[in-house]
Amino acid sequence: MGFEFANPAFLWGTMLAALPLVIHLFNRRRARPHPFAAIDFVLRSRRRTARRLRLKRLLLFLARTLLLLAVPIALARPQPKRADALATPQGPAATAIVVDTSLSMSYQRDGRALLDRAKEMAQKALADLAPEDPVTVVTCEPAAPPPKAPGFDRAEARRAIDAVAQTFMPQDLTACLVRAARALGESTIPAKRILLATDLTAASFRLDVPAPTIQTSQGEVKPEVVLLDAGGGASELPNVAITHLRVEPAPAVAYRAYQFSLTISNYSGEPKEDLAATLKVGDHVVAKGFVDVPARGTTVKTLTYRFPAGGVYSGAVELGGDALAADDARFFTVRVPRDVSALIINGSPHTVRFLDESFFVQSALDAPGSPVRPKLRDADAVGEERFADYDLVLLLNVRELPGAKVRELAEAVANGAGLFVSLGEKVDPDLFNQAFGALLPRQLHLVKTAVEPRSEGAQEKAARLVQVDFEHPALSVFGGEAREGLLSARTYRYFLLSPGAAGQVSQLATYDDGAPALIEGRHGKGRVILYTSTVDREWSDWPIRTSFLPLLQRLAGWLAGTLDERAVEQVRVGEPKPLSPPEGAEGIRFKSPEGAEIAPENADGAVVLAQTELPGVYRADGRIKGVATRVEELDFSVNVDPVESNLARLDERELKAYFGEKTRTTKVAGSEEAAPEVPLWSMLLAAAVGLFFVEGLLARK
Amino acid sequence: MLLDPKALAKLSTVKLRARAVVEGVLSGLHKSPHQGQSVEFAEHKEYAPGDEIRHIDWKAYGKFDKYYVKRYEHETNLRAFIAIDASASMSYRSNGLSKLDVACALGAALAYLLVRQQDAVGLLVLRADGARYIPPRAAAGHLQTIIEALEGLEGKGTTRLAAAADLLSEKARRRAAVFLFSDLFDEDPHALKRLLQLRLRKNDLSVFHVLDRAEIEFPFEDNTLFLSMEDDRSQQANPREIRDSYLEEMKAFIDGARERCNEQDSDYELVRTDEPLDKVLLRYLARRERGR
Repeated sequence: MGFEFANPAFLWGTMLAALPLVIHLFNRRRARPHPFAAIDFVLRSRRRTARRLRLKRLLLFLARTLLLLAVPIALARPQPKRADALATPQGPAATAIVVDTSLSMSYQRDGRALLDRAKEMAQKALADLAPEDPVTVVTCEPAAPPPKAPGFDRAEARRAIDAVAQTFMPQDLTACLVRAARALGESTIPAKRILLATDLTAASFRLDVPAPTIQTSQGEVKPEVVLLDAGGGASELPNVAITHLRVEPAPAVAYRAYQFSLTISNYSGEPKEDLAATLKVGDHVVAKGFVDVPARGTTVKTLTYRFPAGGVYSGAVELGGDALAADDARFFTVRVPRDVSALIINGSPHTVRFLDESFFVQSALDAPGSPVRPKLRDADAVGEERFADYDLVLLLNVRELPGAKVRELAEAVANGAGLFVSLGEKVDPDLFNQAFGALLPRQLHLVKTAVEPRSEGAQEKAARLVQVDFEHPALSVFGGEAREGLLSARTYRYFLLSPGAAGQVSQLATYDDGAPALIEGRHGKGRVILYTSTVDREWSDWPIRTSFLPLLQRLAGWLAGTLDERAVEQVRVGEPKPLSPPEGAEGIRFKSPEGAEIAPENADGAVVLAQTELPGVYRADGRIKGVATRVEELDFSVNVDPVESNLARLDERELKAYFGEKTRTTKVAGSEEAAPEVPLWSMLLAAAVGLFFVEGLLARK
Repeated sequence: MLLDPKALAKLSTVKLRARAVVEGVLSGLHKSPHQGQSVEFAEHKEYAPGDEIRHIDWKAYGKFDKYYVKRYEHETNLRAFIAIDASASMSYRSNGLSKLDVACALGAALAYLLVRQQDAVGLLVLRADGARYIPPRAAAGHLQTIIEALEGLEGKGTTRLAAAADLLSEKARRRAAVFLFSDLFDEDPHALKRLLQLRLRKNDLSVFHVLDRAEIEFPFEDNTLFLSMEDDRSQQANPREIRDSYLEEMKAFIDGARERCNEQDSDYELVRTDEPLDKVLLRYLARRERGR
């Protein structure tokens, strides 16, 4: 096996190795004669020390000579000569160097990122090019400018390779090769060559589209493709990754409890056991679990955490780091619902507590763990209350309100407050329609009695809820047996509604005769839900059913606009993030995970943050009503694309079939069979340091 | 300071150096151990040609009809030999005075002190091409003869301490003090032993082991071709590589010489060429005093 040198000029320095011999000879000649009376002692001392001195001198001579040999050879950067050097006998070839910067290139192999190896290989390949080969460097980032035409400025090409930076996005190398081919088309040299430094992961190639070709004066030609395998010919690059994170509320566990479901994929032939998965909120680990993942399989692990208060929380779920660290964490930003302030307006108060119209509603909303903070007012004492101070207003069997209060209520709802309306014997449809008609999803028509309450057979003849929209966020918690608690409710009397236009009105539940039981509409920014019966036991036994408490709490959350905030968005790196700045917010700025300040852009009338190249949490600051503040509601998290986690590599035969028979693969950087763990030059330098100390030791003795 | 070796080196003659040393010594002696010569009658000796005629005891002639010469106490004063190794290795100097310069200065100073107290001093200059011998005399003018002999002395040839031992034992037939100045670098490993045999003949032997600072400390740094000063041997060496071994060898050599002298009850004085010579003499004399 021969050697080649990166800096052969330094080899001239090996001539210095003759220096110890020259100095030795010079010193012999230079010896100063000195008549000395005690010559006998000198002679005897020489005789005594001769053997030891001869050995010491020999060792010193060897150490010095080897030291002076090792340093220039190390500086010349030797490496084993490759059989696949680029020089081709066919003459000059226009060359494009393409470096893969996709996320998978951050994979650490033997302590080095694949991208570093790829860059080193690209630099080496550049150095190996014949002087008459024009070259251009192509980067694959979508936002990169079009590549230059091949030229002879090697320094510029070297700088361009040095400047190639790691990204966290997937890359379409096929499209990148097409760009490279286009750049090569600008060269008049007929031979074309593409040097592609990549980890050969299948996710980066699209082999279903035609291979890149170049239009030349001699027709369409396929470029010679030289694959610089940064993976060093490894048969596989084992990786374990969190490929998906689902964050959703866990109301069955506790209010404000969330469950974090991690999908962990094992892209290796070895099963992984006892992998530690941690859940971090902010910088604090709040939950931890262990998980086994079968070889080439996936496992879902669920971690649960109850947030202490409402608000915006950011964090991450993490696995113990492996060679590809970027996909071992997934970030999230959760908007935990805040407490809902509710005003219950009781239209039918009663001195006996459980006969009071509001008894069941207040008990349900005030139950331990409820997000609702209810306040009870009789309908005729509501004048002192400001509806704008509440997230939700519940009108329970209210006959009427003062006109000013009705207008105030309409305004509050239009501005986003929720309104829940239940009916009863106090409600006069005409009067009610007149007062609250604008707020109601549909107008009241008349009262229908399915069966007289407490009459014989009332249970069987009573109306039941059917056609319940269990997809609705407020009703989605009812699954399996829990639905029985809702469907078993009996309603004896209820209001029929006038027909109305469809559109913004949705029926959440109907009775078995098709009449609406729960109907939802919108008024301005606010939501309105109308329940067509009573929330005490006068017309219905629903208040004593198990479904009453959870449904009322969820309806309260839905109407107050806190349930829908629970949807956790998934933004991938590089995707623009549309933003909805709160009213009055201005000067919004984001801090990237690295701390860089980024400004959102206006695109087609929408506010968008386009620079989301890094995975992590993006935090917003801004001014609201002129006051600088954190704008937490705009915070969001960005995660890597799981497609980059699968490091399955393409087979050389597949690539040859795709790019053509001229395709070659080199594996010099970290090739398992060729390259030593430590470069030869650094071993030489280490040896030189050792020799230096040996020399010092010998010379001192 | 006058007696600093570097300053002493500037004095061109042995005489001046010796005087400077002696003055230093005399000013350093608190109480002289030498109280002058005695003039008391000691014994009669049968006249032999060469004896002073003025010392013939005519009364004894009248009694015994034989010539007897009167001997006085002062005539039993010390007969001293100053032996100086003048081999080529002694001319080594790393800085300032050579070992031979130091040996000559110290020898002359000793001669001065001895003559000053009426002791007879002789000189033996040991060199490969033949020794130069000046017999001991106590006459004041004799000092000048010795100093002249030391003046301009140059180191030549190899060290032959064994030959010096033979010569000294021949000349110092009866009890005498022998002061040997040498670096003791001799090829013959038993040379010093031979010298020390002078003690067996009741001679008082003092060895002044003169060494250069560079020989003791081996301070060389650069690659050096060491050349022998007495023959054509040479050795190239990196001094830093052999320093430890050299210093070990040198220490063993000095310790060995000191030990052998002590075994034979002889005085041993290590003289570094870079130390003040009066201190050397004072140290020596003080030790002698303690030994009495």
